Amino acid sequence: MPDIGKVRLRIPSTIKPGDIVEVRALVIHPMERIERDAQGKIIQKNYNYINKVIVTYLGKTIATFDTTQNVAENPFFTFTFKATDPGQLKVQFLDTAGGRYEGTADIKFS
Amino acid sequence: MNDRRMSRRTVLITLGALGAAAAGGLAAVPGTGWAQALAQYESVDDALKRLFGGKPMKDGATSVKLEVPFIAENGAVVPVSVSVDSPMTPTNYVKHIYVVADKNRMPVVTRVTLAPEAGRAFMGANIRLGESGDVRAIVEQSDGTLLVVKREVKVTVGGCGG
Repeated sequence: MPDIGKVRLRIPSTIKPGDIVEVRALVIHPMERIERDAQGKIIQKNYNYINKVIVTYLGKTIATFDTTQNVAENPFFTFTFKATDPGQLKVQFLDTAGGRYEGTADIKFS
Repeated sequence: MNDRRMSRRTVLITLGALGAAAAGGLAAVPGTGWAQALAQYESVDDALKRLFGGKPMKDGATSVKLEVPFIAENGAVVPVSVSVDSPMTPTNYVKHIYVVADKNRMPVVTRVTLAPEAGRAFMGANIRLGESGDVRAIVEQSDGTLLVVKREVKVTVGGCGG
């Protein structure tokens, strides 16, 4: 998949100070499932899936998702944060193959 | 001078890459590390015992809202969202939200850790469900109280390989 690691963040177009903002984050990732051989035995290998999602706002971690292979392909997460000051919202996705994908959004008040 | 600076940078970058590779290698070994520790082949009762050590759970129907479809046609993508009535102040907030799928071979789906700055105790994700069964949301508050809500989901086509 050429698009692997592409991160998309969706935030509302207008944010007022003090608002609780809902953010939707999507990453393109295969989230490999456990495979079994003909005998039904689990094939031991390094399955590549996202196991951590870290959300930081103004440099502070506000939410962490510890995820397993039970999360669907191209994982999609929603979370909220309280917009206190303009600044950067960053979402990082870490996978078991050492990949680190991140998306940022600038929070501005209108 | 310029050359020297460049080489120093190159060395630093190489070191950084090596570090990342080492970290990736550690996490990659199946069955070890915290990543796999969260999800293990076990029954849902064992999983709850392992995570919460048999602590009593209260019914959270009044304050926890778990949204899942009644019928999931495709078990590979099932939207789940959990929201909790909580003031989210530094003294009283929701610390963790767990999503557990009873019938999955690895029941623990995700654990969300929240900070009071989140403003609202809310999480949403797309999960996989292997077969029809209960989906639970377990909420751990900052004072340690556990609240649980569960809903049954009917899955038409399973979505878990393992």
